[in-house]
Amino acid sequence: MFHWKKRGLLFKPQEIQGKRWLREFAQAPSVLIFDDLVRVYFSCRPLPDQNGQYVSYSGYVDLNRSNLFEIVKISKEPILQLGELGEFDEFGTYPVSVIRDGKDILAYYGGWTRCESVPFNVAIGCARSCDDGETFEKLGHGPVLSYTPDEPFVLSGPKIRRYDNRWYLWYIAGRKWLMTDGRAEPVYKIRMASSNDGVKWTRMGKDLIESKLEEDEAQASPDVFFCNGKYHMFFSYRYSLNYRNKKRGYRIGYAFSEDLKAWARDDARAGIDVSESGWDSEMVSYPHVFTLDGKIFMFYLGNQVGRYGFGLAELVGGLS
Amino acid sequence: MKWKKLGKIFDPRDFDLPNGCVEFAQSPQALVFDDFVRIYFSARQKDPRNDKYLSHVSFVDMKKNFKEIINVAKHTVIELGKLGCFDEHGIFPMHVIRRKDEIYGYTCGWNRKVSVSVDTSIGLAISNDNGLTFRKIGDGPILTSSLHEPFLVGDPFVQTYEGKFHMWHMFGTGWKKFSKSESPDRIYKIGHAISEDGVTWEKEEGRQIISDRLNSDESQALPTVIKLGDRYHMWFCYRESSDFRRNKSRGYRIGYAFSDDLVDWTRDDGNVGIDVSEDGWDSEMVCYPHVFEWAGKIYLLYNGNEFGRYGFGAAVLE
Repeated sequence: MFHWKKRGLLFKPQEIQGKRWLREFAQAPSVLIFDDLVRVYFSCRPLPDQNGQYVSYSGYVDLNRSNLFEIVKISKEPILQLGELGEFDEFGTYPVSVIRDGKDILAYYGGWTRCESVPFNVAIGCARSCDDGETFEKLGHGPVLSYTPDEPFVLSGPKIRRYDNRWYLWYIAGRKWLMTDGRAEPVYKIRMASSNDGVKWTRMGKDLIESKLEEDEAQASPDVFFCNGKYHMFFSYRYSLNYRNKKRGYRIGYAFSEDLKAWARDDARAGIDVSESGWDSEMVSYPHVFTLDGKIFMFYLGNQVGRYGFGLAELVGGLS
Repeated sequence: MKWKKLGKIFDPRDFDLPNGCVEFAQSPQALVFDDFVRIYFSARQKDPRNDKYLSHVSFVDMKKNFKEIINVAKHTVIELGKLGCFDEHGIFPMHVIRRKDEIYGYTCGWNRKVSVSVDTSIGLAISNDNGLTFRKIGDGPILTSSLHEPFLVGDPFVQTYEGKFHMWHMFGTGWKKFSKSESPDRIYKIGHAISEDGVTWEKEEGRQIISDRLNSDESQALPTVIKLGDRYHMWFCYRESSDFRRNKSRGYRIGYAFSDDLVDWTRDDGNVGIDVSEDGWDSEMVCYPHVFEWAGKIYLLYNGNEFGRYGFGAAVLE
């Protein structure tokens, strides 16, 4: 079992002043490391509209590399514009995963649209930054990964990685919508695609992680990290229905693989769970593991899936 | 090219259609048998939940130069999609081809949205009973939105030439609010994709293969292609993208283009050979063309006024 030492809530969106697009939520942290700072991309929301509906933006916060609890800067504006009328990302760009590509930085993100019979749909877009991640230009008006016969809707939660000169994208794909109390809730599973150029993707076409809670277990936010000859995946999972509470809400799971294809789930080793009290006492989700100056850290979300921000944990001992 | 009109050959009001459909017989698509032709079309049911339309695929079997109807489907030919799927609110059209002992149905599935009325994607369903019923290969589409075809991928038409599957289809290029009082209207063009197996497709990714005639906001739909001699011929329909529903001069017309290499297409509407009639069922618009060969002759099936609300007609190439 891994041992994560919790270091507390690190970024609190409610404390940020003067940004209309950043009022609540700081979801899906994804890091980009610079010489003297750690840039954390995250997704956030302005206040909801008069119908109670949210849009989501993504921005970044720069943290002092030698003291991650010191905020150096927050992006002036969102890094991506919302899509135009009728486009896949008209109502949100969440979450974002970034990676360096030579001098450029690529961002893969979930684009949100609104539907009539179900509340939303999501497809994965791609954008490129040529200014060190300040601003990103979308590669097109449409998504880079969209629906297929066995991945019919809700493609989201992209995490982009590069191993041995090949691009890998972990993401979730919707399986079905369940109606409960007049509201449609999606069931989704973790999947993978690979690519030679980051644009044209070949999908593996199967669920990577077996379901544990129930057949309709919702699995989200796969985050893959290579260490000691193995690929480690932290992810989040929950019940599909009535999950906005401590008992059925998000927990962080773990799986490992030696070949990127076969994954063995072993949640007992995840080493992080809800706290007795405080900001992460009801749920933990959206893990993102990264290495910094010889240490291994995890950013993750707490109660209400990051409504009050994201926190930091540090690995004590190794990942093996 | 010159088409001789044979008149309206099917009126949905004359039959009890499955799925509670009462009007519309849109986008006729032919499947030729030894002694009859089966014509698939999309009819509409009123969605009991909100009075919006749901399009369902049905078919009619005809003999003898379309003069004798021998059967009209009484069953569900293909189910609409499940909750949240791309084809939940309609299938219109379904284009069919024979593939060994099976029949492939390429569907244009419709789903309703919030900021704009609708999106479409292309699905695949397979029939093992000579086209009576079709089963989808999955809940999702085989061709859908991509980087440079951001929405409204639909209207598939498939042929095999020189060992490859070719698909011509529409893709959306924009949604525009043309006037304050109207909902946004869509603009779409004709594109092309290639496949080795008819299932996995490689799009040309946003290349508009048919030039505009009216203006850059022209919408182009429903391509149908046939090879005659060494030349490929395409018919399609086009219209203005606003005020096209009731204004006769802005509604659908049929256009024409030809190609000798399946890459470059020359638009040549002067050779289309068909236009609206002086009066009658196709006097205001002509749309949704489908060209096919039957017993040595080349036929055109198409819809007339009100996008085929009262049926479809046929014409024969002279």
